[in-house]
Amino acid sequence: MAPVWTVFIAVLAPVTLGLLSLFLPRPWIERRMVVAGLGPAVAFVLLLATAIDATSALSDAHQAAKHDHATHSSTHDAGDHTATAASHDDGLTTGTLDWMPTLHINIAFRTDGLGLFFALLVSGIGVMVYLYARGYFGRAGPTSADDLFRFYPTIGFFTTAMLGVVLADYTLLTLLFWEMTSISSFLLIGWDRYDKKAVKLAMQAFFTTGLGGMGLFGGILVFGNTTAALGIGPMGLDPVTGEVVCMGIWRWSEMVAYQSEIIGAITAMSPGLMWAFVLMFIGAGTKSAQFPFHYWLPGAMAAPTPVSAFLHSATMVKAGVFLVGRLFPVFAALPLFPQVIVPLGAVTMFYGAAVALRQHDLKRIFAYTTVSQLGLLMTMYGLGALQYTYKDHVFAAIDFDVTQIANHAFYKAPLFIAAGAIGHVLSRDLTQLNGAFYKHKAICGTMMAAALGLAALPGTISFQAKELFLYGIYHVAKDHPWLWLIMGMTVVTAIFNVAICVRVWTTLLGLPGGLTEADGEHHDDHHHEHAHEHGVLANLIWLPGAVIVSLQFLGGIITPLWNKVFGLFEQPATAVNYFQYKADGVPSLLYAVTHPGIPLLMSGIAIGGGILLGLSKLWRDAITDVCDRIYPALYWLAVTGGGRCFRLVQTGNLKHYLLFVLAFLMGGFIWAAATDSGMAHVLHGDEVGRVLEYWPGALIGLIVCATAVLIPLTESRIVRVLFLGACGFAVVGLYLVYQAPDLALTQLMFEIISVILFVIVLRLLPKKKVAPNIGKWWRIPVAASVGLLFGWMTLIAATTDRTETNPGREPLGVTLAQHSYQIKEDEFGQPKIETAMTDDLGSRGGKGNNVVNVILVDFRGFDTLGEIAVLGLAAMGVWSMIPHRSRRKDALTARGYPKGGAA
Amino acid sequence: MSSLILRTANQFIVPVTLLFAAYMALKGHNLPGGGFIGGLIAAVSLVLYRMSHGRAAMSRIMPFHPRVMVAAGLAIATLTGVVALCFGKPMLYSEVIYIDLPYTDAAADPFYIPSAFFFDVGVMLVVVGISVGMIVRLGEEIEEVDEA
Repeated sequence: MAPVWTVFIAVLAPVTLGLLSLFLPRPWIERRMVVAGLGPAVAFVLLLATAIDATSALSDAHQAAKHDHATHSSTHDAGDHTATAASHDDGLTTGTLDWMPTLHINIAFRTDGLGLFFALLVSGIGVMVYLYARGYFGRAGPTSADDLFRFYPTIGFFTTAMLGVVLADYTLLTLLFWEMTSISSFLLIGWDRYDKKAVKLAMQAFFTTGLGGMGLFGGILVFGNTTAALGIGPMGLDPVTGEVVCMGIWRWSEMVAYQSEIIGAITAMSPGLMWAFVLMFIGAGTKSAQFPFHYWLPGAMAAPTPVSAFLHSATMVKAGVFLVGRLFPVFAALPLFPQVIVPLGAVTMFYGAAVALRQHDLKRIFAYTTVSQLGLLMTMYGLGALQYTYKDHVFAAIDFDVTQIANHAFYKAPLFIAAGAIGHVLSRDLTQLNGAFYKHKAICGTMMAAALGLAALPGTISFQAKELFLYGIYHVAKDHPWLWLIMGMTVVTAIFNVAICVRVWTTLLGLPGGLTEADGEHHDDHHHEHAHEHGVLANLIWLPGAVIVSLQFLGGIITPLWNKVFGLFEQPATAVNYFQYKADGVPSLLYAVTHPGIPLLMSGIAIGGGILLGLSKLWRDAITDVCDRIYPALYWLAVTGGGRCFRLVQTGNLKHYLLFVLAFLMGGFIWAAATDSGMAHVLHGDEVGRVLEYWPGALIGLIVCATAVLIPLTESRIVRVLFLGACGFAVVGLYLVYQAPDLALTQLMFEIISVILFVIVLRLLPKKKVAPNIGKWWRIPVAASVGLLFGWMTLIAATTDRTETNPGREPLGVTLAQHSYQIKEDEFGQPKIETAMTDDLGSRGGKGNNVVNVILVDFRGFDTLGEIAVLGLAAMGVWSMIPHRSRRKDALTARGYPKGGAA
Repeated sequence: MSSLILRTANQFIVPVTLLFAAYMALKGHNLPGGGFIGGLIAAVSLVLYRMSHGRAAMSRIMPFHPRVMVAAGLAIATLTGVVALCFGKPMLYSEVIYIDLPYTDAAADPFYIPSAFFFDVGVMLVVVGISVGMIVRLGEEIEEVDEA
């Protein structure tokens, strides 16, 4: 078990050192690079140490898986590939730092194969990209120093977020980092703050992946709560009730530990778990640019190339794939799993490659091949849920996922690095690059070498990876014939990839068959250009790419070494793969070639077809992706459509607003009255009669009504104000006769103030008399019914005795009085009001004898606080809307109006 | 809007009403009254004073913008609520503080200050601030119109 601090420091190192680099003076470019670059380097070293530390645990897991396979191989059990039941502590989880235990978020990390592999990939490629950024932004440009100043902290933020995603053990912690990758990616795509298009594309990426993140959030919550309801997961203390309850699954390690229970629930078709998967897959699919949400990824190419090389090829976009890898051990049992993921991934794979072939901008080409490859990775996990029998052994169709993912990173990052480099010195438009190799050998050489990986030609690890993928499909297709369609799509995708490779080679070498300017001009959308740099450091613009791509060939040629390193990280579940069983790892090139079969034939077709297609005249023009319209359409719908809906409701007319409010009030009240018989009850009780019996009250009520009715019928404003005052003073009288001195006093003061206000304001109004106006006829019944309704409501609140229907609930008046002070019996058995000071209420009490005031400051204290805040705001509105005339004139003069008033 | 009679009468009315306002605000916990009423009474008397004596005299007895009172009142009321949190009680929890005063019989008639008192003071300040502020502002508008 690795100590939690080691991993935690590794995760935080990039952002911390990135922020530290802010303290260096701006012109110190190289020192800045070293300081910031130490971040991922430190992370890499620490994680490598953790990985070496975990080696024994990892190989234990492998052994367990193998052993498990040996014992279960003869049974065709649905849960076989997942039956590698680990003990509850498999030694792959770090200790826990408590953060928010009641919310199921603590800091703990899972150092299993998949997570560690991803973390090493991120930090390793991170180091290379940090170096490349120095070469890319350079020293010569006018904004270089400023760019690098901002760049390193931002990319450090991203690196930390990404390391967090892949290492976090708590599901919600993963989500937290997941959203941080969205935010940092947004910042990096919109790097050029003054380029409106880049900012728009950054928003597009942010919204798409952010909404997916909401899906993931929902999925995690549904999963945790469903498992808690099903009783799967560790027991713990409920933070509210203090009882021992099942907490549910909130950690990835728990997911593995309770694997068999969860699979049991999944096979029992628990709808909660199914929805959890669907929601989480929405997060994974949008992040990993699955069709039709792939549009954000090519759009994200507005980012500087170091960002594209890092985020949008090697790391962030694979977060979705990674998530599916995390979910795979349990959710593979879901019948939905292959049925959703395989077709979706395959369509993405095919579509991406088809569009990639018809692009001219190098970054767009590679962006679409990235989309394609992400589709392939998804398909791979989908296939992993299927099994086939071969020579009496049951094998999972999943191939080496770590190899597949590493393979893509090792050719795609160099491709981007080289694309950015060539864009610097020449152009990123492939039609402009005919014969570029002879001018810039190192850059073009790197790109061409990486393109071999893209085409999956023999000699690269890519070849074996594609071979394994085809092998998996071929064997499962025997039981699932529809997979032949996927096989066809894969081969066509491979043909497109080879064709792209052929076109890159022929164009850069200036051979016949390469693209020329005659193939149409395509303006690349974001061109970063500055003076060409010379010197040792200038090599940083291609060298990191060359370093990364060398791993492709290392793996392709010396496969046993690759197996030794990367085989360690392969998920234990994949150990029941055929080759793991038979060849102990990824087969070598020799093995692949000497064991011919359908997969090898398919590879041959792909290479042959690809070369033909690449040299042919077909599909040489550039097209735009139709899916690019999805986001603008949604954006239009949200902004314009939303605005129209908004204006439908928000008319800006005070009368309409009032009508809405009153209508809803009445509707709600009628609904409540219809469902609660107690509310109608008061109307035919004695209460109404008793109100009328008390004649002073009834008389004053009559005055109130009469004055209110008279207001709209009079012509003079002064008379109206007087009637309003009379109405108010009548209400004061009403309070007095019903013995509410507090209310009477308040109302009295309020009436005085409002009369003063009216007297002041009336002088400002036009002298013209107002016509008596009662408005539209239907306002009368509305107003009358609202008035009656309020009366009814008051009657209910004051009188309803609910002790029969709802024991323990007395009329409101009694409850409030009892909680303000306590009624005790005195020595003669009579109720005696004890004052607050001698009381020991024990419970929450207002501790005052004035019930009205206790309501205001205690029971409804929050309301009062809110009300005085609103009053303050209203006053501020008055002060700002009626500024002093002298100041107004100043302001107008300052804006260029002539003195003496506004034009 | 200024008459000799009103001005002379206000010499006596304003101090008394202000005192009454304070009384109303203080006794509100156990008897009819409260911060809101007290604030309104004080506001009315101040507005009366403003009307009879004019702007200059007003700025002598209240040498700051009324918004200061609003801010102070809101701060006091919020703080009262928050203090309860510091003692692990819910926000705005009511408590009474007993104080032994000399020359009183603490057993028969103890003197105490409820925490709601501070809340009431905050409410009062806000009410005075906005009422005086809004009315005086509108009154000035009239004067400016008359001058123009």
